[in-house]
Amino acid sequence: MRKMLWAEWRKLRRSSIILLTVFATVLIAVIVLVAGRETTVDGFYLSDAGWYMTMVQPWATMFVLPAIVAMLGSYMICREEQDDTLKSLLLIPVNETTLTAAKMIVTFAISILIYLLLFAITFSVELLLHHTDLSVGMVLSFFKSYLLEGIGVFLAVSPIIALVSYTKKSYWLALLLAEIYSFAGLFMSMSSLTKTFYPITALLGVAGYYETTTTNLFESLFVLLLCGCLAALILVCHQRSGKEKKYHGK
Amino acid sequence: MKKFYLGKVMARFVFYTGLVVGDAGIISRHYSPESEEISMSDYLIETKQLTKTYGDQAAVKDVNLHVKKGRIYGLLGRNGAGKTTIMKMILGLTSITSGEVDVFGQNIKGHEKRIYPRIGAIIETPGFYPNLTGTENLEIFARLRGTAAPNAVKNALKVVGLPYKDKKLFSKYSLGMKQRLGIANAILHDPELLILDEPTNGLDPIGIAEMRDFIKHLSAERGKTILISSHILSEISLLADDIGIIDHGTLLVENTMKALEKKNRKYVLLRISDMPKAMLILEQEFHVTNFDMYDGHTLCIYDTSLDMGAVNKALVMHDVSVISSQLCNDTLEDYFKRITGGEGIA
Repeated sequence: MRKMLWAEWRKLRRSSIILLTVFATVLIAVIVLVAGRETTVDGFYLSDAGWYMTMVQPWATMFVLPAIVAMLGSYMICREEQDDTLKSLLLIPVNETTLTAAKMIVTFAISILIYLLLFAITFSVELLLHHTDLSVGMVLSFFKSYLLEGIGVFLAVSPIIALVSYTKKSYWLALLLAEIYSFAGLFMSMSSLTKTFYPITALLGVAGYYETTTTNLFESLFVLLLCGCLAALILVCHQRSGKEKKYHGK
Repeated sequence: MKKFYLGKVMARFVFYTGLVVGDAGIISRHYSPESEEISMSDYLIETKQLTKTYGDQAAVKDVNLHVKKGRIYGLLGRNGAGKTTIMKMILGLTSITSGEVDVFGQNIKGHEKRIYPRIGAIIETPGFYPNLTGTENLEIFARLRGTAAPNAVKNALKVVGLPYKDKKLFSKYSLGMKQRLGIANAILHDPELLILDEPTNGLDPIGIAEMRDFIKHLSAERGKTILISSHILSEISLLADDIGIIDHGTLLVENTMKALEKKNRKYVLLRISDMPKAMLILEQEFHVTNFDMYDGHTLCIYDTSLDMGAVNKALVMHDVSVISSQLCNDTLEDYFKRITGGEGIA
């Protein structure tokens, strides 16, 4: 597995998808920064310490990053067929389940790294603007929140990654599906019930973006884990059907 | 006398072509007398009644392929004849509808971990990661294979004439460079058996010649067994020790190259009025025994060093009319055209 993880990292070198991911992450930070310069009766939004770090979270999670993570994961799985490298890998031989597992682990790591990058950007801006008002507790709380969002986003979009890989469609489909899926979170956040059970809003609850009861927290956590299990199930079924087709198909 | 002639002609035809035409007109394979005696264990690849169908359409039909250890086996056929499908089935990359494949004496299914490290292969166009350089691509495959030799990547690239640690990305490679990188990947782990599907595709003439020398070197100097497919007759005839001709999914002939080369011979075609007298003159005055007779008036003399002027003069002197005398050259391509029943192979 270590070799496979190393190989997956190497395969992403100079990848335009990684550049796109970084660009999207920076873009969302810039958009919220620009929005924060709007004035209110009390002055600029940005004049409040912590406002920027707080506001970037729903913007990133409901508009951009789930789609980016879904596209990245699907791209990593689909590219072996698109680049025609799968047959070379199978002739090594490489176990397809291990290969997909390695790709999912790398996607998971990238999802966390994206949110940590976002945290680094927002923290830097907050440090520049409000270095005297920031406390260690506040920064650590935001760090935990961003970290959990990174994990949660991966779990929430993992069924889409698996589904697109299963249907062997383009990874751009994953981007589209995940965009609709994350945008729908805006409407799901309007009711307490849907907010708890809809994966995108559930992850914000688990990350601590909004206050929630312990029961709701566990329910949201359960939903996210269920998403992860569903993705694993789809991928395992996909692999089994692929093997059966290979050996017994006509 | 006539019976004797006909028998001799038939025997000669079977001897040279290695073909037996059965009652139903089906061409079946047999080894010519020049074939070496080999035991079953000498086959690195053996297929038995290998068949692949897509719906009602058969892509490969009852193919019995025998690749001997340490030899170059050329699988020759037109585009779409079924060469790649056979190779994919041998490698377990596609399902087998019926029949069996043995590689290194065992079925690949269930023994992939033991068999694949002993095989290097290029199937169709070689696929690599476009955002990486050639070296980076090979490093990935070497690491995943667990290739022990520290300079394996460098050596493989050197062998195929590609630079090591070059900055050029795979997406910028020419077709020839891609093909070379594919070969480098196939030999990276020093396999015993190489399965190369049209490896010279996209190479320039010098590249093709280099690749040919390289493949010959692998077989002759390093004892590798090579199964190579091509639609280019000249390519296979310059490379292969054994040859299999496939057409519309059927293996029409499998024989040694030496046996097939016998058909690529020059001969003098004589049309004469009196066959027995002509034969007597040829045997007694010119000591020629290497000839064939057809239809009672046609003679095929395979000794082209004969002074045909003297032969014609001698025949006329003995009241044998010479209707025509012609130097002919029956090429391998003519032979392929004949057995595949259509246009030749480039």
